[in-house]
Amino acid sequence: MHKNEIITDITAGYNVITGMFVGQAAFFTHHFTDRWSISGSEQYQFMKNVGSLDFWGTYRLPLKRTNLYFDAHLVDNMFYPWQTNEFIANASAYFEGNYMDFRFGMSFIMYHKYDVKKEYYFTDRSYIEPPTLIVGLGVNIRPRNHPWNVGFFIRNYDQFFYENWNINLGVRAHARINDQLKIISELTARPAGSMSQLATRYEVSYNLGVKYVW
Amino acid sequence: MKTRIFLLLALACVLASSCEKLQEKINLPGIFIANTAVEDRMQMSELYYKKMYDDKVWLVAPDGGYSFLVGADSHVTTDPGRMDEMLANGLEHGDLFYAHLGDIADTKAEYYVTLDSLIKVAKHRYVDAKFDEIGDNQYIYKGGTEDPSIIFSYDEIVYPFFPVVGNHDITRNGWALWSNIFHSSFYEIDVVVFLDNGEVAFDHLIFLDSASGTLGRTQIDFIEKGVLDGKYDDGTSIYRYTFVFTHTNIFHPQFNEFASTFPREETFFLLDQFEKWKVTCVFCGHVHTWDERNFNGVHYLTLDSMCEANNPNPGDYLVRLNIDKDGGIDYEKVRMNYTPPKKKK
Repeated sequence: MHKNEIITDITAGYNVITGMFVGQAAFFTHHFTDRWSISGSEQYQFMKNVGSLDFWGTYRLPLKRTNLYFDAHLVDNMFYPWQTNEFIANASAYFEGNYMDFRFGMSFIMYHKYDVKKEYYFTDRSYIEPPTLIVGLGVNIRPRNHPWNVGFFIRNYDQFFYENWNINLGVRAHARINDQLKIISELTARPAGSMSQLATRYEVSYNLGVKYVW
Repeated sequence: MKTRIFLLLALACVLASSCEKLQEKINLPGIFIANTAVEDRMQMSELYYKKMYDDKVWLVAPDGGYSFLVGADSHVTTDPGRMDEMLANGLEHGDLFYAHLGDIADTKAEYYVTLDSLIKVAKHRYVDAKFDEIGDNQYIYKGGTEDPSIIFSYDEIVYPFFPVVGNHDITRNGWALWSNIFHSSFYEIDVVVFLDNGEVAFDHLIFLDSASGTLGRTQIDFIEKGVLDGKYDDGTSIYRYTFVFTHTNIFHPQFNEFASTFPREETFFLLDQFEKWKVTCVFCGHVHTWDERNFNGVHYLTLDSMCEANNPNPGDYLVRLNIDKDGGIDYEKVRMNYTPPKKKK
């Protein structure tokens, strides 16, 4: 059983509002026991000018050959072009089966507009959204522990973004190089208006990274 | 085990696609890909508007003050009673124009035939009330409040009903039906206000196409190029007040609403843009829930649905915004009394 994990990845994509963008992200996880862990991550998407921090804790409950995880996330996103700071608290349960995984949870999102030239807060510059459900489903073509795998996912959240009923969907893959190193990859389409039955091109991105454990 | 799961999924898909009631309400393929693109709508709207109005419609408020009436999500099917009530109410009250925030009809050809007939009848009522016919297809403003030398043909009279397009208007290739009646889904209108002190003020009405849950690149380009900014050479704004009308809501009034709003970046882009335009009020629909809030100096009103299927009882589903002669603004909710006749069992 390894104690630590690190993932680093790069992203390239296109967004209707900001145009082309590239980004990087890094994730670190430390396992206190085979059940408890804490993690932290950061990302910055250049050209889009969005930066994020995410901290979370996880409890793993083994269920025969599957696992049930309970996560609690605190996320801070800075949308620099529009002077907006978004803070998210999220709690969810994540079931990891042999071929399928499923996440269900709740997000609490607030954002405020800041202006570096003026006062930091105004009363009408903040908005707290009602709680938002998060739902995600993933399906793999190989068993979970196979050295390589390809799968499909659909969800209304990402590592750093939690949407109000805008789904994102895509294809994911990984390949194990050795016991410590793995290549991971995701192609994600993030349409607008999907739950309004008018899914429309909004963002597409490709993500490639490595995961190292020790 | 895997075979069983695939069989169950296949069975669920067959059941979902064969259920007529479900199909009428939900366009399942639209969750993954839309059958109408916002970019195509923009190109068509721009062409139509340039050709017809040299880019802009002008409305005139000759007495300094004016009012306008706003409704949302009428979802007209076979019974246009609530739409008829809205247009009659606006005419009776003397509103300068009537705005509709989208989802005007559910997408079926016969529903649009009903709607088209209703709009034609409402225009006749409007022309009868506001104009005198002085010859064969020649009309002048009634009462001498306007220059009587301006003579219009019937088709040249702009009926001041200005809708934006909603997602339900077009989920099943409905753009052809919608555009056949209303032509353009993205446009701006200037209101020329003659003030008591002899000066003239300009108010700005912006109608955005957000039916797809995003404005799309073309519309964003228009906005970023400053097409809608309306500024003098010295950078000051031409406009006294700016009002924005669009379908998709910005805010998220209740937990139990599952329709898509704008994605994150676009939400923050729009909030920022409305501030830059110094918008007085943004009117939204889409979620069938009333919401009112201020954000960063801009007032946001999200209207409840005026559709008798969603809200069968009489209620305050419309909003009237009043601007008095001194420029003071307030709004009032307007009651709708029409209830559909009960179906015989």
